[in-house]
Amino acid sequence: MHLPLYLRIRYIDGVETPVREPTFLILTALAAEPLHGYGLITEVARLSDGRVSLRPGTLYGALDRLLDAGLVTIEREEVVDSRLRRYYRLTEHGGDLLANETERMRRNVEAATVRLNTRARRGTPRLSGGIA
Amino acid sequence: MSDLERRYLRLVRIFYPAGYRNARGTEIVGTYLALSSPDRGWPSVADVTDVAGGGLRQRLRAIGATGIGPGVRLAATLALLTATALAGGWAMLELNAWTTAWFGFEQHGTSVSLGLGVWAAWLLAAVVHVVAPGRWTRLAIGLALVLTVAVVPLAAVVDRSRPPLFVLLAQVCLGFVALGVPGQPPVWLRLLPVAGAAAALPVAATFARNGGDVLLGYYGWPAGQVLPGAGMALFLVTLLVGVGLAARNDLRGAWALLVLLCPIGMLWLHPLAEELAVSMYGGGPNADWTTLATAAIIAAVAAAIVMSAALMVRRRLAFTHAAVERCTACGSLTSDSAKR
Repeated sequence: MHLPLYLRIRYIDGVETPVREPTFLILTALAAEPLHGYGLITEVARLSDGRVSLRPGTLYGALDRLLDAGLVTIEREEVVDSRLRRYYRLTEHGGDLLANETERMRRNVEAATVRLNTRARRGTPRLSGGIA
Repeated sequence: MSDLERRYLRLVRIFYPAGYRNARGTEIVGTYLALSSPDRGWPSVADVTDVAGGGLRQRLRAIGATGIGPGVRLAATLALLTATALAGGWAMLELNAWTTAWFGFEQHGTSVSLGLGVWAAWLLAAVVHVVAPGRWTRLAIGLALVLTVAVVPLAAVVDRSRPPLFVLLAQVCLGFVALGVPGQPPVWLRLLPVAGAAAALPVAATFARNGGDVLLGYYGWPAGQVLPGAGMALFLVTLLVGVGLAARNDLRGAWALLVLLCPIGMLWLHPLAEELAVSMYGGGPNADWTTLATAAIIAAVAAAIVMSAALMVRRRLAFTHAAVERCTACGSLTSDSAKR
């Protein structure tokens, strides 16, 4: 069954596609193992070399969307130092979406690499006569 | 429980809806505490902003308004363009020698009206959008919004001229929508508000040159002409963009139009008030404070009703769609829907 036109706003079940970088990094962080909120924030920062720094309000908003879309699920809960920790894991649906997004980006990278190599073989245009 | 934990819990209690904070409050606070240094006693400004933003998103989610983000971002870009174009035009009229009659004996040298400071703040927001889009632009828009509101009591205190309320109200509505500007827009989108303000300058100069005696009514005549014109232009541009996007099964434009209904209504305040004056008092279309306030309430309520109805329809359709797409036995997504 196709999504009706009036609902088709470049979303799939509440998740914008192609997914934005923070969402992609959250899914990537969860691909290896279930993580709790703090673990997710540090892992996303590590994956992006510190470029993407999620804050809890933003993270839990994104997790809610991913939970609603069935891309992520709650693995388990535990209490550490009298604080609740929930561990999230990627669902099969989430894994499929991450794989599709990775494939899409891989094709883009390949296309860009081919073009850049062609450009390098042709040689970069240079100024003739030098700078006066 | 530490003081810091108590303060984070208080913030979560203030900003998040009750049901959500009962389910998630301690988890969110625990994450803030895990991220904070041991010697910290108070939540940082960035954390307060983050809690407020997260709470707002949850409240929007509760009414089914999530997932319209791209539409809001498109509306914000168009609203900022309109707001800065208007600011450029008004600044030109304030400074122009032909409009000195606006202020008559009230004019004090080159410092013509407090409005000039307000419009300068909006033009600054357009410049910040070019050099530092995202957070800095939102801060600049926030500052312009504060000044636009603060000019009303300030003018009363210092007894100086200021733009009329219906001009400021339209600007405030545009500014609120503009707060949703995208964080990393392409260069041509970053330049759009500055281009809009620059394009407004010759239009304003033409108005000023041809205005003559009618400009005596401080903002009245040009505002009555320019604001509805800007509202119509905003409506048509959003409609055209929306139709273009809808042709590619992308309904951003429709949501943008719904978000912009309130600012467009406020831009049409003066003609609406004039119509009300004719029907309420008879005689000529002479808008006064009562008719302007009534028109503003009508425009705001009508925009809220249309937006609420659209969100309700969307939520109902999404619910129906989800019900169809889930397995009747276990409630999981069917393979067909999972592929999407």
